[in-house]
Amino acid sequence: MTAATLNPEQARARRIRRERVRRIVRHAILLSWTAIIVFPIFWMISTSFKDTGEWVTWPPRWLPHAPTLHNYAQIFAFSSMDPSLSRQAAEQAFSIWKGLGDAVLVCTIAALLALLLGTFLAYAISRFNVGGKYFRYTTLTIRMIPPIVVAISILIYYAVLIPYATSALFGTRISLFDTYVGLILIYTVTTLPFVIWMMLTFIDEVPYTLEHAARLMGAGRITVIRRVVLPLVASGMVVTFLFVFILNWAEFLLALTLTHPEVTTLTVLLNKFQSASEGRLYGPQAAIGTMITIPVVVLGIMIQKHLVKGFSFGTIRR
Amino acid sequence: MAQISIEDLVKTFGGYTAVSGINLEIRDGEFLIMVGPSGCGKTTTLNMISGLEMPTNGRIVIGGTVVNDLEPGERGLGMVFQDLALFPHMTVFENIAFGLRIKKVPDDEVRARVNAAAAAVHIQALLDKLPRHCSGGESQRVALARTIVTNPAVFLMDEPLSSLDAKLRVDMRTELKSLHKRLGATFVYVTHDQAEAMTMADRIVVMSKGRVEQVGTPLEIYNRPATRFVAGFFGMPTMNFLEGTVEANDGARRFRMAGLEHPLPDAVPAELAGRMVVLGVRAEHVLVGDDAAHPGTAQLTEPLGDATLVHFDSGQGIRLVAKIGPATAIQPGSLLKFRFASESCHLFAVEDGARLF
Repeated sequence: MTAATLNPEQARARRIRRERVRRIVRHAILLSWTAIIVFPIFWMISTSFKDTGEWVTWPPRWLPHAPTLHNYAQIFAFSSMDPSLSRQAAEQAFSIWKGLGDAVLVCTIAALLALLLGTFLAYAISRFNVGGKYFRYTTLTIRMIPPIVVAISILIYYAVLIPYATSALFGTRISLFDTYVGLILIYTVTTLPFVIWMMLTFIDEVPYTLEHAARLMGAGRITVIRRVVLPLVASGMVVTFLFVFILNWAEFLLALTLTHPEVTTLTVLLNKFQSASEGRLYGPQAAIGTMITIPVVVLGIMIQKHLVKGFSFGTIRR
Repeated sequence: MAQISIEDLVKTFGGYTAVSGINLEIRDGEFLIMVGPSGCGKTTTLNMISGLEMPTNGRIVIGGTVVNDLEPGERGLGMVFQDLALFPHMTVFENIAFGLRIKKVPDDEVRARVNAAAAAVHIQALLDKLPRHCSGGESQRVALARTIVTNPAVFLMDEPLSSLDAKLRVDMRTELKSLHKRLGATFVYVTHDQAEAMTMADRIVVMSKGRVEQVGTPLEIYNRPATRFVAGFFGMPTMNFLEGTVEANDGARRFRMAGLEHPLPDAVPAELAGRMVVLGVRAEHVLVGDDAAHPGTAQLTEPLGDATLVHFDSGQGIRLVAKIGPATAIQPGSLLKFRFASESCHLFAVEDGARLF
């Protein structure tokens, strides 16, 4: 039957049928993709509740036979440690506390620093066209460099060049390797482009006439930023902070290369359970993995809506 | 004293000249309106007075002080912006109080002055609201109150009524004018709306392409436009323009073009004889009636209620507009006869549009 011979009723039915098939296919594709993405997370959570014997049984058990909190008890244990042996003791006890503390400290300070610097840089780029018309895009390309390229050269700076230079020049050896300052610095630098980019979209939306009005009423530049611009981009700053915090939280390569054992973030700690010295302790590893993932998911859901706006490359406006 | 002198003011952006050498005296207590099409440099001039733009060249003197190097906040001005620029995160009260807070005025005085300013524009009931909960007209008043509260000697306004609907705009016009009377301050107002300029201004500055075309009272501007541009810019509908020559026979001056002749007043200088000119006639001075000399064909009528506009072809492919009484019924396509009221015509030079008579 050709289209010309179809009566309107039939044509409509056919259109509805076709639309329904399309919808089913679309959902089938999305569901299977979701399954692929979600499965490792499901497996991790499931394993975190399994006892030792079930970690690698074959055929695999999808759900723990006898769910246990043993893995969690182990990672959250406060072991009473001999202070002189603290490092080794911490390593023996799979405890999450040291890693958690380091991760929270480093990620928070680095995200705050990047936010502070990035906001003012974004303001300068937005209002004074610093760096020219395309500077904002150039900034983002910094993120296109593979982290491993940076990691090795930074390692050489941190572990060799800076210690050598400082001892030669000042007589004291200052090393940034395996220090909080070192990791915070590199995290601040690597996330700065994101902060600039996101804050630019928020600051661009503040009409400059607001600043003009404030200046005509006698406010200086700093007052204008403090009383007019910052309050208006405050929610954007919170979103940006959380986003950058998540980035730092999930960062592995730089932390692995530039730290440990003194500074150990959670992702590095997680990796330890795969190493030859610790064996393959899937249970505690899965428990830690779950604990790391929870804040990412919670924060991610909180800022999801704003992220679309922040990364819409200026094409979507309210 | 809030007299403003603008001397040889120039502003260029890269290769583009926005304002090219303006001289202007704004009198103390005057309501001066700068008007012109978009891109004529009026807003740039206003921004240079306010200090938001630095002049490329020239001087601005406010109350006897050269203000070129003063910060915007140090010039003793108040400004109302086109988008009003109310701070969205502050209540109406805090918006109005902002300037006083910056100047560290004591709390009691802030409260008293904000209330007084709010009362002046009848918005006492809005003080606790956020700007986004105010209507267009209310926001307008908040912006005014915020400017009034600091008692500036000069009010700068950049198309403040453009965001309002037509009815409200007319109401606000009246209100602004009475506010100006009450405050006695100098108002410098920028608009592209000739009706705003005509109704509110003590004097109008007409600008085009970064230059001042004419400065004068509304009636001077309307009745004796200095250039063809001013003549065309003011008046609804636009003035009719016809190109032709001036003839002088036995003392009687005439304007002549192909198929059309029009007697000119005797006061037209004899030197113009033989010269190509542009004759300008306003629609209300095009008279339509049986006693008229020239035939034409009506093409379109626009009833305005109190009058009707008739667009017609004068026979030479030249379209003219006449404003006639509402009772006269002319149908599109019908023939009519027209003439120009002889005393009310303007002559402009063909080359530069300067007024010849």
